[in-house]
Amino acid sequence: MTAPLSAKNKEKRIGLFVCHCGVNISSVVDVEKVAQVLKDYPGVTFSTDYVYMCSDPGQQMIIDTIKEKHLDGIIVAACSPTLHEKTFQEAARLAGLNPYQIEIANIREQDSWVHTDKEKATKKAIKIVKSHVAKARQNENLDPIKVDVTRRALVIGGGVSGLQAAMDIADHGYEVILVEKNPSIGGKMIQLSETFPTLDCSQCILTPKMVEVSRHPRIKLLTYHEVESVSGFVGNFKVRIRKKPRYVDETLCNLCGECEKVCPQIVPDEFNQGLSFRKAIYMPFPQAIPGTFTLDAEHCLGLNPVRCGKCKDVCDKKAIDYDMKETIVEEEVGAIVVATGFDLYTMQALGEYGGEKYLDVVNGLEFERILSASGPTGGEVRRPSDGKVPKSIVFVQCCGSRDTEKHMPYCSKICCMYTAKHAMMYRHKVPDGQAIVFYIDVRAGGKSFDEFYMRAVEEDKVLYIRGKVSKIFKEGDKLIVWGVDTLTGKKVEVEADMVVLAMAMVKADGVQDLLKKLKIATDIHGFLAEAHPKLRPVESLNAGFYLAGCAHGPKDIPETVAQASAAAAKVGDLFAQKELIHEPTVVPVNDELCSGCGICITMCPYSARTLDPERGVVVVNEILCEGCGACAAACPSGAAQQRNQTDNQIFSMLRAMLRE
Amino acid sequence: MKLHYYPGCTLKQKTTALDISTREAMRRLDVELVEPEGWTCCGAEYPLTEEKIVGLAAPIRTLRQVREEGGDVVVTTCSFCYSVLKRANKAIQDDPLKHKRVNAYLRDDIQIDPLTKERTTDFADYNGEVKVLHLLEYLRDTVGYPKIRERITRDFRGLPVAAYYGCRLLRPQKEMAFDEPDSPHVFEDFLEAVGCAAVDYPFKQECCGSYLSVSLPDAATEASYRVLRSAKMNGAKAITVTCPLCFYNMDHRQEAIKAAYLDFSGLPVLFFTQILAWALGVDKELLGLGEHTVPAAALFSERPSTEVRS
Repeated sequence: MTAPLSAKNKEKRIGLFVCHCGVNISSVVDVEKVAQVLKDYPGVTFSTDYVYMCSDPGQQMIIDTIKEKHLDGIIVAACSPTLHEKTFQEAARLAGLNPYQIEIANIREQDSWVHTDKEKATKKAIKIVKSHVAKARQNENLDPIKVDVTRRALVIGGGVSGLQAAMDIADHGYEVILVEKNPSIGGKMIQLSETFPTLDCSQCILTPKMVEVSRHPRIKLLTYHEVESVSGFVGNFKVRIRKKPRYVDETLCNLCGECEKVCPQIVPDEFNQGLSFRKAIYMPFPQAIPGTFTLDAEHCLGLNPVRCGKCKDVCDKKAIDYDMKETIVEEEVGAIVVATGFDLYTMQALGEYGGEKYLDVVNGLEFERILSASGPTGGEVRRPSDGKVPKSIVFVQCCGSRDTEKHMPYCSKICCMYTAKHAMMYRHKVPDGQAIVFYIDVRAGGKSFDEFYMRAVEEDKVLYIRGKVSKIFKEGDKLIVWGVDTLTGKKVEVEADMVVLAMAMVKADGVQDLLKKLKIATDIHGFLAEAHPKLRPVESLNAGFYLAGCAHGPKDIPETVAQASAAAAKVGDLFAQKELIHEPTVVPVNDELCSGCGICITMCPYSARTLDPERGVVVVNEILCEGCGACAAACPSGAAQQRNQTDNQIFSMLRAMLRE
Repeated sequence: MKLHYYPGCTLKQKTTALDISTREAMRRLDVELVEPEGWTCCGAEYPLTEEKIVGLAAPIRTLRQVREEGGDVVVTTCSFCYSVLKRANKAIQDDPLKHKRVNAYLRDDIQIDPLTKERTTDFADYNGEVKVLHLLEYLRDTVGYPKIRERITRDFRGLPVAAYYGCRLLRPQKEMAFDEPDSPHVFEDFLEAVGCAAVDYPFKQECCGSYLSVSLPDAATEASYRVLRSAKMNGAKAITVTCPLCFYNMDHRQEAIKAAYLDFSGLPVLFFTQILAWALGVDKELLGLGEHTVPAAALFSERPSTEVRS
């Protein structure tokens, strides 16, 4: 692709098109003068100005002029290349010119928008344009890099977002591998009791989806598996997945439950948030998928018939196998949806609320289990310490959220609504109970959300106190809640039988290693970062990765499902392409100059560069290279030269700009 | 070994019990306490008010003196002194304006001879080099609880004692960086180390009423009552403090508390150093128990330890 040196010497016919951008540019830069001055500049064959270059007539003018004047280099002096470079490249293509002969000289963001002195701004615009003329003279024709796509997707996480994404991608007609690290799919949503604002049962609406996913012919469901590593690039990932030994053959297990009865090991039940107990061999919950028992080796007496072996003895189906080993599954996929979910902020972090000390101070998810018909109390509201029905419950919102000083600065978004739901459900189940909510302000911005909150206040007589809680402690049988009512400005002291803390939603702890291995971009709170906060909300900055659900930030179920479907649609976009097009402005290596020092390898954020040990030079995977130029800047020998951004071009630009 | 020790004014006037017991206890731990020469009042709360830079001169002068005497650590027992010294020190480290102006005051004050008006001695700016530690912090981090356990000769036999932190020891957390203000345990760990049973109660960080003792005595009475009641309700036989003002509000004010709240029948108030000193074998007469309004001597019953602690 590199043209011989002699080709560069041939004088190019360059056309310059200066844009007014309405008055955005022309009010500060004398655009006519820019076009006029450049008319006689060496190499410039044609020069003009126009009010909107990006408009249809503007583009047509460029196309016509290219053909008419046989131009082989174009400079559009207009806005930032991030906005309209593609537009003008397309125009060039239509005119039969290689799109990489288009240069954008930014005289708006970098000139007219930041200056007021017309004379100086015009001078600056002329310098900017001249520098691009210098660069355009050395631009080469480039062809996009093309690569095949593996039309299979990997979805990491089997919560509602992962399930939705997997199903949508599969329904588009592509194969999906769904990996879940827990014994069953279902995620956090399966633990919820009812869902706002409709109060329909969470399990009832999720289990059909779970069944559908498990039966879908194009979904390969890998529960109790973890993604070990991902290599490759968009369209061509290689994934290693670790199968954790379940010690129970899921194809043989008939769920008779005899093993569970004889197991002597009692363990806090994760599904019930530790409010009840399970055995070491267990099924997480009745509707778990796949429907099989799982032996938790960590709590088992030792997977050894000499030490215990009771479960194996009673299993008629011979499904239990203590000798199962970890295995690695390898898969090839083209796109990866990351739906790894969230965790609740630990109550330990808010020592003043006593969540660690007092059994009757619970977090929102624990209260969901207490409300749930499948929960430890069978759906009756009973407090954990003594099983009594609490006659008063205080709900504290924003526990760790919206606290710039000590905890999370962001709003966890769902707590206002689920607290209203909790208080409402409690009032339904304990009609003579008192529900008190401490809040900063109620954020009920969603479809039917505010109506739901008002229902809690007006119909279910939930008492809302605007203010924060400072301290919760126990006196005798009661919890004492100290807070402030900021509407009256008075301190409040409330006695309660139970307290529910709406803990902040935070990044999922268990997947941080995985995210590091994926090298996927995260924000300062550890949530996945989207490629653009408004225009590319479900894509990662890392090509081929898509985001769904609360791994990206706090959100409710409708929003999670919408995002999962959007991610699936984006995967569909990718798979619909015959081949992937990659920008050719990458940084290859000149073998003759490369000394194999490897500095560029350490600079490369995309792992695109590796050392060829035999030849002692660096080789580049052009598909992975994003053309950031970090290596080119670092290369001490000049072997790394970015296409159409070579050192020569940059120096020419500098010379053109600095010459009076 | 020698260790710089800043007693503060109250310990030399109203609350000598805290001073005496500190010295006696530390002697048993082979630490000789040295007072910086010419130390002055820390300024109580006033140096910490935002706009009065000159107030910082008092605590900083003392800290600088510690440095001049070759010390890199100064310990104090009074919570107020601790708070003022530590925060003033941090202000000098963090705020260039305060650093400049306080050093300018001190330079003139220390260099210029009042009679001849001439600059006499050398002066090097104080940059916050001295580390300010509370004695509890020193016992925890430098002496270490295992060593204290080794040296103990008398056993409290699990006497239930409430640790009272008050307001000054822990907050503001970013500046004090001493213990977690919402669920602290340094004081409890100390009590356990000297053979007491630390009583957990919710009012350990609540205010005792502080200076309201002067302007609104009833408010201080109520505040101290709530703390004492909570400690007693949770089974404490005594409450320990680090601060002379807390001691004043809870001990000297206890008659008023009993008069105002008939359900309260009294609770001895001790300094943590009295407990430490007695456990280390210091004579009861040297604990300053005569200063207490609420009789506390009975808690220190002379029963030598039956078992050797390890």
